[in-house]
Amino acid sequence: MVLKNNLKEFRQKKGLTQEQLADLVGVSRQTIISIERYRYKPTLELGLKLALTLDIKVEGLFYFE
Amino acid sequence: MALSKKEIATLIDIIYSIVFAFVFLPYFYKNQELNLNSMEGLKGVLIQIVISTVIYFSIAYAALEVFFKKKENTDERDDMIHSKSYKLGYWLYEFSIVIIVGYIFQSRINRQLFNLQENQILDNSVLIKEGEIIFLSLLLLAGISVIKSSYQFYLQRTH
Repeated sequence: MVLKNNLKEFRQKKGLTQEQLADLVGVSRQTIISIERYRYKPTLELGLKLALTLDIKVEGLFYFE
Repeated sequence: MALSKKEIATLIDIIYSIVFAFVFLPYFYKNQELNLNSMEGLKGVLIQIVISTVIYFSIAYAALEVFFKKKENTDERDDMIHSKSYKLGYWLYEFSIVIIVGYIFQSRINRQLFNLQENQILDNSVLIKEGEIIFLSLLLLAGISVIKSSYQFYLQRTH
């Protein structure tokens, strides 16, 4: 099982750039890029921050495939 | 290939280690047969190392701040990358130190076993001088620093 996410899709729906989202959750743009490309698995804290910022449930943002 | 501020900072570290190895290590390589007291110009070289290090990093990081004005957040991914790269550096350093200490220890045991005089050595044994220990330590420092920073750069690009 691989941990994947819909971060890019939800970010674009909100009309946010990678940099804007990064600033909102307090990480670097590279971290957002890495998460969107499934290279980096965020901690629970960052996952929850991303879900809160994008107004979705964390299980809607991250899923196993 | 667009590089981030942190990736360029890592490249600055790699370049420093390589330049240090090429500029200063030859002096210690030439003097490895000597002891500390007999090394000519050692004080001058040490002062040069300190001053050039301060100047290099001041200029490099000032230039970095000029070209990348926006402050980059340090986050959990940076912590993960630092942990992994420093862990590799730590293990390499520890392993190398154990090998060097073992080598020196074996050299001392040989001297006792065969009752050798100060300048006598066995065919398969090397008499380690202070200069050689300093050279080996600096070589290790530069080599491991390059490996650690290169691994850090690799993680920054791929994780």
